Amino acid sequence: MQGIDNRTFVLYNIAAMKILCVLLPHFAWRCEARRNPALEGRAAIVIQSKDPASSQKLVVDWSPELEGLTRDMPLQQALARHDSADIIPADLPYYRSVFKEILDGLEQVSPLVEGGDPGCVYVGADGLHLIYPNDAALINAAREVTADFTPQMGIAGNKFLAALAAQQSQPDDCKIFWGDAASFLKDLPCDVLPVSVKSKGKLRDFGIRRLGQIAAMLPGPMQSQFGLEGKRIWELAQGIDNTPLLSRFMEEVIEESATLPSITVSMDAIVTSAESILLHILPDIIRRGFGIRNLTLWTRTWNMENWEREINFREPAMDIKSIVVRLKRALEDYPQPGPVEQVGVRVNRLGYPLGRQRNLFADMRAQEHLADDIKQLELKLGNPQIYKVKEVEPWSRIPERRYALTPTSR
Amino acid sequence: MVKDTGKTVRADTYKPVNTPEALKVNEDALGLPAAVKLKRREAVISIEDRWRIDDEWWRAEPVSRLYYNVLLASGQRLVLYKDLVGGGWYEQEY
Repeated sequence: MQGIDNRTFVLYNIAAMKILCVLLPHFAWRCEARRNPALEGRAAIVIQSKDPASSQKLVVDWSPELEGLTRDMPLQQALARHDSADIIPADLPYYRSVFKEILDGLEQVSPLVEGGDPGCVYVGADGLHLIYPNDAALINAAREVTADFTPQMGIAGNKFLAALAAQQSQPDDCKIFWGDAASFLKDLPCDVLPVSVKSKGKLRDFGIRRLGQIAAMLPGPMQSQFGLEGKRIWELAQGIDNTPLLSRFMEEVIEESATLPSITVSMDAIVTSAESILLHILPDIIRRGFGIRNLTLWTRTWNMENWEREINFREPAMDIKSIVVRLKRALEDYPQPGPVEQVGVRVNRLGYPLGRQRNLFADMRAQEHLADDIKQLELKLGNPQIYKVKEVEPWSRIPERRYALTPTSR
Repeated sequence: MVKDTGKTVRADTYKPVNTPEALKVNEDALGLPAAVKLKRREAVISIEDRWRIDDEWWRAEPVSRLYYNVLLASGQRLVLYKDLVGGGWYEQEY
């Protein structure tokens, strides 16, 4: 009896769900155009290396007037279609920060906001009728936040239908879908399904092109051919999407970056710079009793190419030396795409350390005391007071590139 | 949770050492250093060594310098260079 009650409750929730999907087409290109208005109206392709070690460039985005391009298309193919287009290297940290601003803004519209890939946001629209008396008011509020990005919006009872409605709406407009999902979906191609490429390929192999063909089948055969995803495919074709709306991970991300005094290919210079950032970030984290569980080290080269690696720590790291060892390893294993101009560290996740014991050895204690004293001095006088000399590019022919000063206390 | 400071760490946390310092130098007819103004003007009595570095030629501001190791009238030795891009004179330990 308890089971029946639960089921009823879940179905009630699904039926009551109301989701606004905000699509920001050509998000990467629009971010670039926002930063450099001269790009507006010009043909441009945003590209990215396939991976840090590869020289192959893939298309990330393009200006709206260019046709025949797809995401992850090799640059050569794209240039074969549009040879006069400007090439812009993707600046992923910048896109992420712009997307974060948008999510922050939409969180002022509704407390339940899920940001997937940059350019697609789901907003929970249930229970907001006292703030937004009708859909138009809600749509206007979301439009105000995303006005620079020509949003396409859709409102429906689940994420899949809301995303489809948004795809079909006009720029700066919203399509509201309430009604018979089966008739809305039946003529749509299977490519709209948010499932794996493998399953889409298999559907094509079976000669299944439209969602209506899937909806006409029983769930059993789909499940036997496609496994667990078969059930989901069948449900989506019926307009059923039970995936919950997951609000953003509420943990704040700490990110800082350093612009190097001169561009460099030296790993030591990059490590020193990352270390100085960590020395700035880490004391605050440790003071709160946390350690770093996951961080991303990123660099930007002089020709705006990006490189980034994510580093996980099994035990939350509170010791700068152990973090720097991991950073060095990442830098050695994955070479930079070019001379580096900017280095950044993004702390994605913190964690409580399981246990930490004070050092028994007196000289180590003395070092800790010295570090404390330096920190006190800095707090009292404001700026870093004591620096240490670090080798950066000791082999450089330019004398000022060989050594650098970094604050001892940070 | 700690808030994102959004700060960019710049010169206060990463300072190059041994940056060149501008210097007033009188050149002779050949463009070689003839006198240097430190606390007071001092004549260059000999040029002990000189060498040229050209680097970062791929950048908008390439590095091109002609260094001189000179002996001044007071007996002091000094390393100075002429910036072949900007045209100024600088003192710098090498």
